[in-house]
Amino acid sequence: MAISLRDLSVDYNLPIGTAHALRNVSLDIQKGEMLGLVGESGSGKSTVAFALMGLLANNATVTSGTAIIEGREFDLTKPNATAPLRGRGMAMIFQDPMLSLNPVFTIGTQLIEVLRRRAPDSDRKTRIAQAEDALAKVKLSNPKQRMNQYPHELSGGMRQRVVIAMALLSEPALLIADEPTTALDVTVEAQIMREIIGLRDRIGCAVLLITHSLGLVTEHCDRISVLYAGERLESGSVRDVQRQPGHPYTRMLFDCEIPIDRERHADTAQNRFTVIAGELPDPRRRPPGCIFNGRCDVSFADCAKVVPGDYPVAGNAAHGARCLRLVTP
Amino acid sequence: MTDAITVLGARLRFGETAALESVSVSIPQGACFGIVGESGSGKTTLMRAMLGLQRLDAGEIRILGTPLQQGRAALRQRARVVQPIFQDPAASLSPRSRIRTLMNEVGTVLKEPHAATHERLLVILKRLGLPDSVIDKYPHEISGGQARRVAIARALLVKPSILIADEPTAGLDVSVQGDLLNLLQDIRRAENITLVVISHNLAVVRLIAENAIVMRAGRVVEGGEVGPLFASPRQSYTRELFAAWPSLASNNKGR
Repeated sequence: MAISLRDLSVDYNLPIGTAHALRNVSLDIQKGEMLGLVGESGSGKSTVAFALMGLLANNATVTSGTAIIEGREFDLTKPNATAPLRGRGMAMIFQDPMLSLNPVFTIGTQLIEVLRRRAPDSDRKTRIAQAEDALAKVKLSNPKQRMNQYPHELSGGMRQRVVIAMALLSEPALLIADEPTTALDVTVEAQIMREIIGLRDRIGCAVLLITHSLGLVTEHCDRISVLYAGERLESGSVRDVQRQPGHPYTRMLFDCEIPIDRERHADTAQNRFTVIAGELPDPRRRPPGCIFNGRCDVSFADCAKVVPGDYPVAGNAAHGARCLRLVTP
Repeated sequence: MTDAITVLGARLRFGETAALESVSVSIPQGACFGIVGESGSGKTTLMRAMLGLQRLDAGEIRILGTPLQQGRAALRQRARVVQPIFQDPAASLSPRSRIRTLMNEVGTVLKEPHAATHERLLVILKRLGLPDSVIDKYPHEISGGQARRVAIARALLVKPSILIADEPTAGLDVSVQGDLLNLLQDIRRAENITLVVISHNLAVVRLIAENAIVMRAGRVVEGGEVGPLFASPRQSYTRELFAAWPSLASNNKGR
């Protein structure tokens, strides 16, 4: 039962004009799989999550897009299209766990609330036991004591664990994690990623990991989709994309990452860092041709005129990129 | 040669928590020094102490051999030597004044005519790749990357010999963080500035710093030359910290 998102386009109405945040973005995630959606600020990666969850701001319009989740089709252009799925079929982990936790209720109350919505017939005792069990599963110490604590009494990493426990209780078909570890330390980051993977394996859901960190994606994800200025430029298995990036943007993004074992010049002032020169195109007026033309280091005349389609990379149908180079001999 | 900054047995408590506990650090002149550690390890507190913005319970800090003193006159004096670049540069810009007002402040501190300050500013802006028009903008009109450059421009305008940057690449995209790091590299080479970089980004510190310390819970866990420190950390905490860093190479998935 795969999750499928087709042709999602989202516009934001701003005082300075209409910004096209997403243009015909499609994603597929298999059950039990984790897809890494990477992109820089302004690429529209969070807009994908918000459109799926129905959390878009008032000035946003979904101009096209359908989602197929658990075999049901949802027309995302309709307001509140996925409302029946919230808290049951879909769960979301935000960058800031305080956004998902109510500061005036205890952790226990909030976990039990999820169960009340999910299984209205169960009794309170069972719910409490289930909630404590969920906290134990995400390796939060002293679950019994945590149930009576308020969010502010916990650290950032502990709060994120509570949110993961909430997701665990709602047993979603799709879990969306939007920069779940950005606010956390590296050692905590590794632990939280382990919990998200544990949750996926336990309930067999599909996970959409939205992040700007290629390191996280290559370490934890099965597949990767690269978003740039509202368009999906490449997608494929992490291994294929890493081995042979089909789009110059993907290659340049990988080059910008600083590996911890990069060769180090003894005179450290000599160590240089890679940059992608140029700026994002104006989201109100899409330039003709390839969206990445202008920042690309291998563009040619046609790139400014022809909008590239999604072409297979190295003859692999499961690995595609939008670059004219792939079809130009 | 005298050290740029010497910290001797610094101790500071916030209630029960030890923010700094017997911290001793020597930062040599003209080099880049890295301070790494997780949140709450005391990195930023140490920076604030070095700038004289945070009194210590015990211990001593010397800037170029001169003990740090409290008071406005001492602060003014010190501002010409040590300059900070704070973690969130946009937050340290007043939302109600143009960048120009901020820069003129520097002239006032240096007792320099505004025209002269302005002339030097134009040179610095060019170096940092900022358009002159940025001077007349309000903080909300510029991007995060530009705000950081503005903060660096302001710091350089004071002509310091020591620059302390707190998380200089936090919140920047990978495509632009390299640009800022290259810039810091150029500046320290051209101006012979002592650069102190506080960061949780181990990969960055490893490449730009000659020496570094690892902090945890207010203490210096380990320190020394970056090469050996990263290649063979002696403390288990340092090893743990380095091991947690996501690596691009080890993709053991492959489904």
